[in-house]
Amino acid sequence: MTNRIKVERAIHNLTQEDLANRISVSRQTINAMEANKYVPSTVLALKIARVFAKPVEEIFFLEDKD
Amino acid sequence: MNHKLLLPNRFKSIGWMILIPATIAGIFLISTEYEASWLTTKVFAIFNDDLFFGNNESIGGSKNFTMITTDVTNTLVGLLFIVGGMMVSFSKEKREDEFIANLRLTSLMWSVWVNYALLLLSLIFVWGLAFFNVMVYNMFTILIIFIIRFNYLLYRSTKSMADDK
Repeated sequence: MTNRIKVERAIHNLTQEDLANRISVSRQTINAMEANKYVPSTVLALKIARVFAKPVEEIFFLEDKD
Repeated sequence: MNHKLLLPNRFKSIGWMILIPATIAGIFLISTEYEASWLTTKVFAIFNDDLFFGNNESIGGSKNFTMITTDVTNTLVGLLFIVGGMMVSFSKEKREDEFIANLRLTSLMWSVWVNYALLLLSLIFVWGLAFFNVMVYNMFTILIIFIIRFNYLLYRSTKSMADDK
């Protein structure tokens, strides 16, 4: 799975820290997701989508290998 | 995420304060075979047998559910090490979330794998009384390997964060 958290973050002018605080996770988590090293739980994906006010599918994408 | 099995974060530093002196004391005990005679005391034994540990009350015999007099230096250090190690291992991080929980579980699995790999090698290649030492170390290796692995993974993910602003 891939995502455009980093892009959305730039659009909303949020640092990793800001986003982490908004959804009560560690900054490592945001960083790991942006580096595609961690696939978030559904709950976390929905929270991120809510921050960016977009449907989950516009932030997270399946890849061929999934 | 389910954090029911984790202690509050403050136990982590308490754990280190117990674990570090216990490690130093443990290394000291191993290298000198020191036994603090002032730590010889009466303790309650569910089971006691004298194969390894001399006890003048019943040489060669075994006793159940009785008071015995014995040196408790190793017991105390082992106990402190395990309590400290458990606290360090299973206290929440400052911000325990699902990614940290994921690192925690992978590290735990990793440490079980490595621990049993080492134990298998020792089973095959270590013989005689030396194997008794292997069993002694093996009581602590899962905790030690877990703490090293988990903190390494945490360090690595924090470091990659610093690289990537």
